[in-house]
Amino acid sequence: MKKTLYIIRDIAITVGIQLVCFMVCLWIQNSTVENALIPAVSIFGVFLTSVITPGYLYGVAAAILSVLEVNFAFTFPFFHFNFSIPENMASAVIIILMALITCGFTTKIKYNKILEAEREKEKIRADIFRAVSHDLRTPLTTIYGSSSALLDPDNDFTKEQRTKMLQDIQQDAQWLFRMVENLLSITKLDSGKVKIIKTPTVLDELIDSVILKFHKRYPDQEVEIDIPDEFVVIPMDAILIQQVLINILENAVQHAKGMVHLGLKVFLVADKAVFEVQDDGCGIPEEKLKSVFYGSHEVYEVSSDCKRSNAGIGLAVCATIIKAHGGKIKAENKKNGGALFRFYLDMEEKEQA
Amino acid sequence: MNGNKYKILIIEDDEHINNLVATLLEANGYQTLSAYSCEDGMMMYASHRPDLVVLDLGLPDQDGMTFLKRLRKDSLTPVIVLSARSDEKDKVEALDMGANDYVTKPFGSNEFLARIRSTLRMTTHRMQNGMFPGGKFKASGLTIDYDARRVFLHKKEVKLTQTEYNIIAALSEHAGKVMTYSAIIKEIWGYNDEGSIKKLQVNMVNIRKKLGARPGEKNYIVNELGVGYRMCEADEETL
Repeated sequence: MKKTLYIIRDIAITVGIQLVCFMVCLWIQNSTVENALIPAVSIFGVFLTSVITPGYLYGVAAAILSVLEVNFAFTFPFFHFNFSIPENMASAVIIILMALITCGFTTKIKYNKILEAEREKEKIRADIFRAVSHDLRTPLTTIYGSSSALLDPDNDFTKEQRTKMLQDIQQDAQWLFRMVENLLSITKLDSGKVKIIKTPTVLDELIDSVILKFHKRYPDQEVEIDIPDEFVVIPMDAILIQQVLINILENAVQHAKGMVHLGLKVFLVADKAVFEVQDDGCGIPEEKLKSVFYGSHEVYEVSSDCKRSNAGIGLAVCATIIKAHGGKIKAENKKNGGALFRFYLDMEEKEQA
Repeated sequence: MNGNKYKILIIEDDEHINNLVATLLEANGYQTLSAYSCEDGMMMYASHRPDLVVLDLGLPDQDGMTFLKRLRKDSLTPVIVLSARSDEKDKVEALDMGANDYVTKPFGSNEFLARIRSTLRMTTHRMQNGMFPGGKFKASGLTIDYDARRVFLHKKEVKLTQTEYNIIAALSEHAGKVMTYSAIIKEIWGYNDEGSIKKLQVNMVNIRKKLGARPGEKNYIVNELGVGYRMCEADEETL
């Protein structure tokens, strides 16, 4: 469908430019303006066509058309084809060559642009991958090491030691599981194969689930909640948005040094629901604000002294999920210290193109 | 579990998970049978008639749903489904198809055992009389008096509308088990149209407010996002 549309558009462009050139040339010929302008105008028409349209076909077609026009209408004998004059033939060859070369250049530039975008995407992917592999190794080491130590009959652990090792195994396994969930979402959404299915979700219920889950993992961290009193329904994939909120809250716990207050606020502006998570911790280093959602691991290594940095991918997942919902996410530092994460979702279900 | 042990059939193709579930159940006084495929499961079910089935949805030969469908044709044996987190659709489908409850992988042993206990208790208690003793439901401060159609929170009456009462009563009768949106709607309004889910959601928000629930705090009714609601379990001693 789209392809035929493009072809029609390109044909229209080619024909349109030729028509305009032809009219201008006709006017030049019939007026007092110097006739030497005519070749320049038609060459410019061919050049424009070659630049605007993709590939070689339209540029060359335009060149041939304009050669015919000039030959037919604007060279002696007027309004008769004459292919016997060698100068006419030579200029025809030159115009066609020019069209070919121009088309070659524009095609190359367009191709390079695609390549560059592709490379950029690849780089982000590689960054995430590196962060993930690094993050996977640590818990696996604990799990493998502790379980082999526990199985070895020669080891004589005390009961406390045993319990501690088993707890470590459990925690690291849980952490791995969350990481896998995150990875699954990001690959599912990134490939573009899976479209988000939005269902009307009650804000109260979403926040309730988020806080329950968050408190299971971090029972000591209070979250101050500020949501509208009225009944709010937002179309979303609730499981994914829940994941976004938990990732951002978790990120604060792990990276906002010196944090006391952690807040989750939701409010409505026009047709959008705005979610804000803010803390009063150390904030995000200015130079890292931009790359915070791109999953480059270095971002976190400097600022964190905890051994696990799920954030390397956690925030990248947030960005992917919000983007797939057609919303936007942003991180900033508050004037009076601490970080603020904000994203919005549309209140009305829009048909996504 | 003195002497007369419950028999539980585990249908799960992953050996480690099957093993884990079996060990866990045996250590808690249940008798277990392990099957590793749908066909296996059907055969073992037919010859052993277990009291409960733990069913994995992703089986190598056939979908676990096939087993559920065939089982429900002529049996009410409780089924607990094991499923991965991200597919609410499968959970809803399984529940609406007659599964009694589901447990999401990975699961903690406590949560899993609680589901088994509550499912077994509910089915036996339903078979015995079908109502809570004394016509009352009690769970940590919440009391529902079915005869008077009244609800009390810490001895103080909570004013509910007819619909709100009906919802809370329906949920409490299935306490401990998740009820899907469509199951609740069917029980309350009898029909299911486009606006029903919203109607239910509005009522739920009001009920939770009236019960004094605040986001993230231990509530009487737990949200299972995208699936339905679960009422917390009744206190043991009232049963």
